[in-house]
Amino acid sequence: MTTAVPTRTSAPLGRLAAAEVRWVLRRPRTLVLLALLGLIPVALGIGIALTGGPGAGEDGDGPGLVAAVAGNGLVLPIAALGLALALLLPLTVATASADALAGEASHGTLRGLLLAPVGRGRLVVMKAAGVLAVAVLAVVVVAVVGVITGMVVVGGPSGTLITLSGTTLGLGEALGRVALVAGWTIGQLLAVAAVALAISSFTEHPLVVLAAVLGGLIVFGVLAAIPSLEWLQPLLLTTGWGAGTDALRDPLPLDGLASSSLRALVYLVLGVAVTVVRMRRRDG
Amino acid sequence: MGRRKWVGAGLGAGLVAAVGVGLVVAPAGAAAAPVLPPISPEDLVSSVMTAQRGPLAGEVEVDNALGLPAVPGAPQLANGTSTIRVWSGGEGRGRVAIPSPDGERTLVSDGTTRWAYDSQDRTATRSPAGDHQGPPEGAPGQDQDPTTAATQAIATLRQTSTVAVDGTAEVAGRAAYQLVLTPQPTERTLLREVRVAVDAETRLPLQLTVLAQGSAEPALQVGFSEITYGPQDPSLFTFTPPPGTTVRDGQDGGRPDGQQGRPEGERRTVGDGWDTVIVGRAPAREGGEQQQRPEGAPDLSALGTPVSGPWGSGRAITTAVATVIVTDDGRIAAGAVPQQVLTEALAQ
Repeated sequence: MTTAVPTRTSAPLGRLAAAEVRWVLRRPRTLVLLALLGLIPVALGIGIALTGGPGAGEDGDGPGLVAAVAGNGLVLPIAALGLALALLLPLTVATASADALAGEASHGTLRGLLLAPVGRGRLVVMKAAGVLAVAVLAVVVVAVVGVITGMVVVGGPSGTLITLSGTTLGLGEALGRVALVAGWTIGQLLAVAAVALAISSFTEHPLVVLAAVLGGLIVFGVLAAIPSLEWLQPLLLTTGWGAGTDALRDPLPLDGLASSSLRALVYLVLGVAVTVVRMRRRDG
Repeated sequence: MGRRKWVGAGLGAGLVAAVGVGLVVAPAGAAAAPVLPPISPEDLVSSVMTAQRGPLAGEVEVDNALGLPAVPGAPQLANGTSTIRVWSGGEGRGRVAIPSPDGERTLVSDGTTRWAYDSQDRTATRSPAGDHQGPPEGAPGQDQDPTTAATQAIATLRQTSTVAVDGTAEVAGRAAYQLVLTPQPTERTLLREVRVAVDAETRLPLQLTVLAQGSAEPALQVGFSEITYGPQDPSLFTFTPPPGTTVRDGQDGGRPDGQQGRPEGERRTVGDGWDTVIVGRAPAREGGEQQQRPEGAPDLSALGTPVSGPWGSGRAITTAVATVIVTDDGRIAAGAVPQQVLTEALAQ
């Protein structure tokens, strides 16, 4: 007991997380997915700018919100986030989650991490940091590219946003609404990511994670479409995914955004809890 | 030990899920009935008539189980729940927002002009605020003593119904009296009960519930799910058409020839009270009907089931609370009654 005890026996968590984030962001597939996500608002914006000016959606041909983007560029990031949330954003975080644990296991490198003098809890935090970084980056890419494309390509009434309620918001408030939707989308994605991480911790095949998450989303969609299963709707994560549109209403209704965020929180807590418990017991 | 841990983790996860989902799902209602001083139906109705309508904001939930046939072009009529947001500034000023998944219809009235804005086709329709656009309640009884009017109204209702204040309820977090109208047993009607919840403090009707025969669930429930009294932001009650909007002038507002616009000679009523049947004549059903139908109006000719009898033949449209028969020679009979009462009225 008299020997000098080193004050720190493990690397600081921040450094671990930073290393993991650097590692995740260097993966080509992450970069490709992020680039694809950035293409969504650009493609939407160019398509709308080429085909329709204001009022072109007279017969309501566009898929929902997209019609509202014409001549109203700042709606573009919100519409693009809504479109991407349906499949591409969950795919991105599911890929990151699959690589985080199942991918390491399939390469046999997870064993090394489990043997390393790093607490299992810290290992999960580190892996989760990588997934979190991907989720945040993905949403930020869509939102920022969306705002730029919306203002440059689609244009609008001098930097303002026309809400669905027919009111006009200034640039600052419009960007605030975009940021709100972006934050809300990140929350929903983190719920998906937590569940994906939990699945990832049980398997050593990354494809299982992808299949489970995307298949799960499709099953949720099917369940939501069956009228006799209406009672199930409050339990489904995807139920509240239309709430992003609420940010385009004025005055801003927060009920939908809040309840879907709460639902996402439940999924998040469950996913993280299962992941931590499983990783504490995992042998390799 | 490992197994115990797993069980513990499972229980914990289950608990979190249950609590979380409970928080998400938990309905606001289902609270104990508040205790309020007793009141007679006459006093309640007259206080509703005299009450000052102050500014308020709220959410109105429409729970529709009327069983209307699916009419193309009017999905709102089909069964389901929808939420409408309302703001009232008093003095005829108001705002209503009817959200849809990817759009919104907004109605704004600043007391002199009414605007209707549709985000789907980006059109705004402007029309002067007419007298009939004032708050529907309080419009009658303006010229006479509300207490007398209420007593008279209830006396009339008592000929065919039981009128009672049936306990209290909590609606949108407000203590409310329940005014209940029940048809007399002799009335041949599809309706079982009509309930109006009246805010005990402000005497504003908060909720209307229509219950039909043979169903425990309401056929129609319209009421506030959330209400806040107090001054509202005046900018809510002004509307400036945003750039890129098509502005139309609608003199008659969005209200096509309503009940009042129809010449009286075409209509007669059979019976009174709950089993009143309105017999009328449909607008000309000659060949030009297709062209005359206003754009967007649903085509009713394909609805309903064919019926026939000594009175002729036609199609019967049955819903939870009302029946309509459209005969092939253009007569229409409608009422909150079973089909048999309609055919009797048509035969007269």
